[in-house]
Amino acid sequence: MFAQQLLNGLFLGAVYALFAVGYTLVFGVLDILNLAHAAIFTAAAFAAFSLVAAGVPLPAAFLLAAIFAGLLGILLDRVAFAPLRKRNAGTLVPLISSIGVAIIIGAVLRAVYGVDERHFTLGGLDTAPAIHLGPITFTTVELTIFLAAIALMVVLSWILRSTTLGRRIRAVADDRIAAALLGVDLEKTIAATFFIASSLGGAAGVLTGLEYNSVTLDMGGPIELKGLAVIILGGMGSITGAVIGGFILGAVETFAVAYGLSPWRDALVFGVMFVLLVARPTGLFGKRALRQA
Amino acid sequence: MPGALVDFYAKHSRLIDQIGVNALLALSLSVSLQAGQLALAQAAFMGIAAYVSAILAMQAHWPLIATILAAVLVSTVVAALLALPVRRLRGVFLAIATIGFGEIVRVFANNLSITGGAEGLSGIPNDATTPVIYGSLAVVAFVLFALSRTKFALAVTLVREDEHAARGVGVDVGMVRTLSLALGGAIAGLGGALYAHASFFLTPTDFGFARMEQILVWCVIGGVTSPLGAVIGAALLSILPEVIRFLSDWREVTNGVILLLVILFAPGGLSSLWRRGAIRVR
Amino acid sequence: MNRFTASAVALLAMAALVAPAGAASKGPAAGKAVHVGVIADVTGGAGVYGTPQKNAYELANDDIKSGKLDAGGANLTFDVQDAATDGAQVVNLMQKFTTDGSTAIVIGPTLSGEAFKAFPLAARANFPAMGTSTTAEGVTAIGPTIYRDALAESQVIPTTVARTHAKWKYKTAAIIYGDDNAFTKTDYDVFKRELEKAGVQVVDTETFHIKDTDFQAALTRIDSKKPDVIAIGGLFPEATKIIAQAGKLGIKAHMMGGNGLNSPEMYAVAGPAAQGVVVGAAWALAGKYPSNERFVKSYTAKYGKAPDQFAAQSYAAAEIVAYLVAHGAVTKDEMLSGLRGVRVIQTVLGPLGFDANRDVKSSPVILEIVKNGFAYFH
Repeated sequence: MFAQQLLNGLFLGAVYALFAVGYTLVFGVLDILNLAHAAIFTAAAFAAFSLVAAGVPLPAAFLLAAIFAGLLGILLDRVAFAPLRKRNAGTLVPLISSIGVAIIIGAVLRAVYGVDERHFTLGGLDTAPAIHLGPITFTTVELTIFLAAIALMVVLSWILRSTTLGRRIRAVADDRIAAALLGVDLEKTIAATFFIASSLGGAAGVLTGLEYNSVTLDMGGPIELKGLAVIILGGMGSITGAVIGGFILGAVETFAVAYGLSPWRDALVFGVMFVLLVARPTGLFGKRALRQA
Repeated sequence: MPGALVDFYAKHSRLIDQIGVNALLALSLSVSLQAGQLALAQAAFMGIAAYVSAILAMQAHWPLIATILAAVLVSTVVAALLALPVRRLRGVFLAIATIGFGEIVRVFANNLSITGGAEGLSGIPNDATTPVIYGSLAVVAFVLFALSRTKFALAVTLVREDEHAARGVGVDVGMVRTLSLALGGAIAGLGGALYAHASFFLTPTDFGFARMEQILVWCVIGGVTSPLGAVIGAALLSILPEVIRFLSDWREVTNGVILLLVILFAPGGLSSLWRRGAIRVR
Repeated sequence: MNRFTASAVALLAMAALVAPAGAASKGPAAGKAVHVGVIADVTGGAGVYGTPQKNAYELANDDIKSGKLDAGGANLTFDVQDAATDGAQVVNLMQKFTTDGSTAIVIGPTLSGEAFKAFPLAARANFPAMGTSTTAEGVTAIGPTIYRDALAESQVIPTTVARTHAKWKYKTAAIIYGDDNAFTKTDYDVFKRELEKAGVQVVDTETFHIKDTDFQAALTRIDSKKPDVIAIGGLFPEATKIIAQAGKLGIKAHMMGGNGLNSPEMYAVAGPAAQGVVVGAAWALAGKYPSNERFVKSYTAKYGKAPDQFAAQSYAAAEIVAYLVAHGAVTKDEMLSGLRGVRVIQTVLGPLGFDANRDVKSSPVILEIVKNGFAYFH
């Protein structure tokens, strides 16, 4: 049972981590909490559903939905954050404007798709027999999702570390004014940050939709608050922190249940977080981590 | 009262009461925010107080005023105790730790038998009348106004604007933070006790993250550091869903658009509008 | 045939000629306007339950106009208002309907927790109100004007346990339920009581939260206790995933649940793993009552998918109100005395009446999920 629960926790943690890295990227670069991240996560899952239903092959649908989410992210920034950035509105006000956008995205999705749960037509992929390896059981879908989530996080880490864009993003995160003085185009870099962050969030949405073969209006609900907890626990804008936080969350949730504490699961999750924060008041990795990425 | 007013009250008394309770909740957060503390445990304080006052009324048959005082005492103590472990936390780190505290409280409410768990507590005496609610609001407003003329208010502003400077002039920052959190806890507790006695029924979901998010939105829309703004934000956003009810299918999206437009138009909150106006008048 | 009957027959024949096919009768309320307030969570977290309710009332409005639903020629309309899964809005709507002077009865809200907040207002105003999905213990005890046409879990699960136990002869059981919802928590209480009464040992109890999607940790733990049967205290959005994930983990135990699982989603989503799952419910999609067959057909035609139990119980409420209106109830007091005099009304749920506690009197149906549908469990 332990091996299976460990695997359950890893699979769960990988998607949490993928959701959280996009979330934390915006947080690290702009010092704002984007509460529309979960809405974009959901919108991308619906986009992928529509694409698959229209006959687009799954990998292409996944990619297109992630790009759609990225563009939605840029739009989000233009509508909800850019006007406030110009007026130096601080960190709390953009939080509220992102809630407004999240409500709008949710309402539009409801108008387009209705309230019913949607399911991918996976052509047998979803009914393929589970793989049994000694004490553990998993499906091809789960394994693919896990690998895809890990691959995307590796790609993000590479972009931030080794590309010009990555260096610009890190420079803006480090010191926006200094970066501008050094000739970095702030608005372009911020747009790119939103594109990357939102496409990762969207990818997490599509993968979550695939994992449970279920796309619903409120699929972003549970992950919104937990994702927030993960990125803050990880430390301001720390990618490593978000990844580790995601896996800690998956593990705590799984093992709380595994040891018969399912009614107390969320109390344990937030209790662990509370204790870790009290012990490390700026999160596990602090802001430096993004700068060094 | 003239007939039209009596009729209006008969049709809208519940909404009027909700506005009063929500104004208290918004004020409670506003008090923390004024000390620069993004402490988001108001829904939890509210919930604790709501359960305390409901249980005392239902099981011990305490009179309303006694249950309210007991509930406020408990929520104040809890808030002051919470201030201890989180004293080193700032900004979003404080926010998420206090949200976490709120989630823990909700899980307890869900699992304890005295709260009725998910099935809730029903049949709570419905004796928080409109005069009781608005009387309480008036008392809180008076206390806050009186406090605003004391050295404490000055210390609070200093702590918010520059903690180091505050320390430099001898302000006990830890004490100011603890007191403002406790004061916020007391007001949230008052709101929670009144909520219990105006709702017939309590359930843990009444005090979850969604409620906290709502209180935060009221405060920011009203203006983060303005108590009057918080009250107005709570009032307007409590009325909004009913005012735009005629939009039927368009109501949800309109709600989001209005929220977005208001915050984009007045990033300093609604209170910044009349402040700007005031400056112009002078 | 005397002259009186002859002229009556002639009149009837004329009426048949004038009125469209299936036309409503001319009752004492003919031509009068009757306004019914409906509170439903069309948006927000419970939108997935409130939307089929709204659909059912809109269908009822169509059916009254076309005469398929007989309201005695009265101009009966169901005014559906969205409460957005917000307790405050539920209360405000209840106050609006009970004070506007034109509403004759309120139907809804969607959730039991909302009912506990809003029904006391109706009870205090001596105003009739009816729940169609608020099945928690104590809802109708709020007051003598509160009715419900929904079979509570406590009326459905005992039969479910008895029938499955007779057939499967299980000795051990596990229960998995949502611990943050009044409905699913009631499921747990009733399942536990009934299983123990049947001499079944409950070897594991797991909880989840509404809107969870991953149940593998809980299921892995349940599997380690090897129960013969798993009782699910949940609603279909979670139950489909529990069943699918149990299938994936290779769990072979029988599974069963209550009203919350009575949705076409169950077989559409959970896939082959759902086959054989037993569902105790208040209504069957395939029920052979005349109005049910018509309801299922016209609902499916109008909305492009089959109705679920939320829709059926709402449509039944519309049928009950239409019946009362056809018998002359126009005001709230007439509606209330009509409700008090109800013996048996034919609805999509079958023939139903109310007991002394104003709870519905009808029989549960025990269903089994088969490939692409529900069959009666034998």
